[in-house]
Amino acid sequence: MSLYLLCLVLFSIGIYCIVRKRNIIKIIVGVIIAEYAVNLFFILIAYRMGGRSPIHSPDTIISNMVDALPQAVVLTSIVIGLANTALLIGIAMRIYQKYRTFDITKIRDLRG
Amino acid sequence: MSREHGKGMSLIVKTITRLTVGLILLYGIYILSHGHISPGGGFAGGVIVALSFVHLMLAYGKDVALSKLPKGVTTFFESMGAILFLSIALLGFLTGYFFLNFLSKGKPFTLFSGGIIPLCNIAISLKVGAGLFAIFVALVLLKFDTEKKE
Repeated sequence: MSLYLLCLVLFSIGIYCIVRKRNIIKIIVGVIIAEYAVNLFFILIAYRMGGRSPIHSPDTIISNMVDALPQAVVLTSIVIGLANTALLIGIAMRIYQKYRTFDITKIRDLRG
Repeated sequence: MSREHGKGMSLIVKTITRLTVGLILLYGIYILSHGHISPGGGFAGGVIVALSFVHLMLAYGKDVALSKLPKGVTTFFESMGAILFLSIALLGFLTGYFFLNFLSKGKPFTLFSGGIIPLCNIAISLKVGAGLFAIFVALVLLKFDTEKKE
């Protein structure tokens, strides 16, 4: 249970970065930290104590495997996170191109 | 890929890159071709293949990397991956239903087994590798207005 709570702490650090920081790059890092905390939580749910990796090979019996479904979900989640991060960085670069700053409190002018 | 290219990082980085970039590319191809019998698969192999070109671009500058894999070729491979995956799925309609594994399953736990799954892995790796490299190229080539004037 304490591992799950540590996951929650990591997720809270990411949320803190998103809502509290003013630099766009730090906000993006916060988004990445929160996303990885969720991935870590999924993998921890799937873990069985002393389990082996869910790969079928000819000389092993199917028993005591860790759960394979959250691992597949997390793989998809990593792909989506990659595309998400690329989109965020692209938007941040365009914002810097237009406003010459990464500070979100100075981005007020609608017409540039 | 020799020492007459003035751009890029220092000589040590260039030499190590020249020695390792082929191994990285080969390892990516190994990961994606054994994706159905060992950990890995299309996504992981495609990322490693793309990272070898990113490695080349970081060490030698964007001109060398773009001469190895131009933007048009990247776009072609990315579109080709999606079309290949869709056509493999649609070919199942010839004998049954969508995503039907119509090829021979082969002997289990050998390289040539699994029917259409290795082909799907290759299509996914084309899409992922070319897409990741295209994202990196787009972020590198983005020029601000003031930089163009200088």
